[in-house]
Amino acid sequence: MGALDKKYRDRLPYDYENRERGAVPPDTTREPFRWVSEVAYKNLHRIVARGYDTTELVEAGYGLADMIFVDFQARIPLKEEAEMLNYVMILGLEDGLSSPAVVARAVSRSHAYLTQAAGASILAFGHAYGAYSAFGNMLRKRLDRAEKEGRSAAEMAELLVRENQGAAHLGVSNLMLKDPAAKRTFARAEKLGLARRYIPFMREVVAAAQRLSPEPVDLDMLGALGATMMDLHFSPEAAWGILAVTRAFAAGAHGIEEIERMGCARLGECLTPKEDYDGPPERAVPSLEERATTAKPGQTRSLEEWRKAVDERAKTMGSGFRIVEEIEDPRKIGKVAKRK
Amino acid sequence: MDREPLFRRKTAISYKTEEKTVLRGYDLSELAEGGYRFADVMFVLFQGRLPTENESEMLDYEMAEFMEHSMSPSSASACAVIGGRPHLPAAIAAAVMSFGGAHGPGAAHAHMMNKYIERARAEGKTLDEMAKICVDEYMDAGRPIMGMGQPQHTDGDPRAEPTHIKQEELGVDGVYLDFQKAVEKHFHARRKAEGRKYVAVNMIGAGNTALADMGFSPNAAWVVSGCVTRGFSGAAHALFMLKKGRAWSASKNEPMVQMLDLSMIKYVGPEDRPVPSQEERQECARKQLEEGEFRKWAL
Repeated sequence: MGALDKKYRDRLPYDYENRERGAVPPDTTREPFRWVSEVAYKNLHRIVARGYDTTELVEAGYGLADMIFVDFQARIPLKEEAEMLNYVMILGLEDGLSSPAVVARAVSRSHAYLTQAAGASILAFGHAYGAYSAFGNMLRKRLDRAEKEGRSAAEMAELLVRENQGAAHLGVSNLMLKDPAAKRTFARAEKLGLARRYIPFMREVVAAAQRLSPEPVDLDMLGALGATMMDLHFSPEAAWGILAVTRAFAAGAHGIEEIERMGCARLGECLTPKEDYDGPPERAVPSLEERATTAKPGQTRSLEEWRKAVDERAKTMGSGFRIVEEIEDPRKIGKVAKRK
Repeated sequence: MDREPLFRRKTAISYKTEEKTVLRGYDLSELAEGGYRFADVMFVLFQGRLPTENESEMLDYEMAEFMEHSMSPSSASACAVIGGRPHLPAAIAAAVMSFGGAHGPGAAHAHMMNKYIERARAEGKTLDEMAKICVDEYMDAGRPIMGMGQPQHTDGDPRAEPTHIKQEELGVDGVYLDFQKAVEKHFHARRKAEGRKYVAVNMIGAGNTALADMGFSPNAAWVVSGCVTRGFSGAAHALFMLKKGRAWSASKNEPMVQMLDLSMIKYVGPEDRPVPSQEERQECARKQLEEGEFRKWAL
């Protein structure tokens, strides 16, 4: 019996010493793996999305906005819907030197492929910047609940605002008090007859937020584009993806401009001024011999000790202890039926 | 609320105030209100100008047809990444980042065209003469000619020739299309003379040529019609896997063997071997170095 076998014998549900060797043989009892897709297929001579030959689509005059409906919703959009999506995408294209552009510029300076710069900008879309998924799901859940409980949209909007006031994904903020673009988006959707479920509800949310907020607030770009996308029947996640990609076009331009203006940056080239540093003062590195007496173990043995250690660690910026992520509370989900 | 830019740069692309976002001098909201389509704004973004109607139509055609390509490295990447259930943007970014030297090498093709067109100008040759030189130089060196051939559509990418035709129909053809078609002519002729099979133009050869003729730089073209446009369908494929597939793609409970089922692994590396003890380590390591078999496996 080997040392490892002794070590693991009582801890593993299998015979450690006699574990099988070799890759698992092909599973012939089931259908072999194939790429399963509801979205598209291609063969030698065709590319077909949701049943439509893509070349035939473009030859028939359908454009990018139409194709996005085909891919995401498996349908040809109304002309008004395609027009509205174009409108939304134009507004979503550029946002100055915000996160996606900055990311693209930073990656670009490494002399990476432009695809990496543009792709990296998409990663900047989260639950604060471009929070279309969080926003859309919030709206949908509330509206579903209002309908289920027979409550008015205004009543549910107020509840939504009370629970989410100040949240980055509310869609109402002080960001667009002087810029009319968000409100014009709703006006255009209404003019085109596309304010279906979410835009009217979002108007209630804005009204509630304006009543409840101590400072002036109004519909912002997230709220305008997010609600419009949902009234175009895009899911919150689809809206998130489509608008993140839309922004990546401009991020590509920012990446290009960064190289044209600034050139590449090499490893070690960029300095960080000492005056920007507010970490521990400079200190001597202990010898390895000294380590035994100077190094403090990170483990804690009691809950109080643990709490104290966590609070202490939170004082170190960059440690991550100041960030507390919200995770789903399983108690709030409700019990599932027992399996038979 | 801190509304300072994340970093400061002089930029000729856009500015953003509390009142508006201005792209190359145009208020973005006014562009949308004015009825322009997204394709129009691509011209504003990358070229600082509004396109003609035909240019706009051509770009919209191209972006729409390039958006979806079923299972390619981009969509496969998106599907694989979403299997771990990260945030959706990670899967989309992976799709976009899959474009490189082989999958949609858009910028490289345009750089090649620019180089040879400039040579034609400098050397006083016609585009047709320079296209032959281009083909011969690449083929003599055993290098593939960018813009030709597609591993899945071996009879030619079904989107490619229609793109050439559309470019001609809309009258948005210029020196790039002349050069590209000459490259194709000489490429086909040489392969035929060498008894090699027909290899058709691909979407880079067709689409990129149209973009170049409409004034997009190699890199701008790569973004506009290439990698980023595909991000839309990358998102759709990832969402399909997210909403209708199982995380990890390895479940034994699915009727079909999954992408990451253990049985999908075909291992062709070194045979299983015992782990040397620390006492045996130096001798074993020295032997491996001397025998050099590891070089066969080293990547």
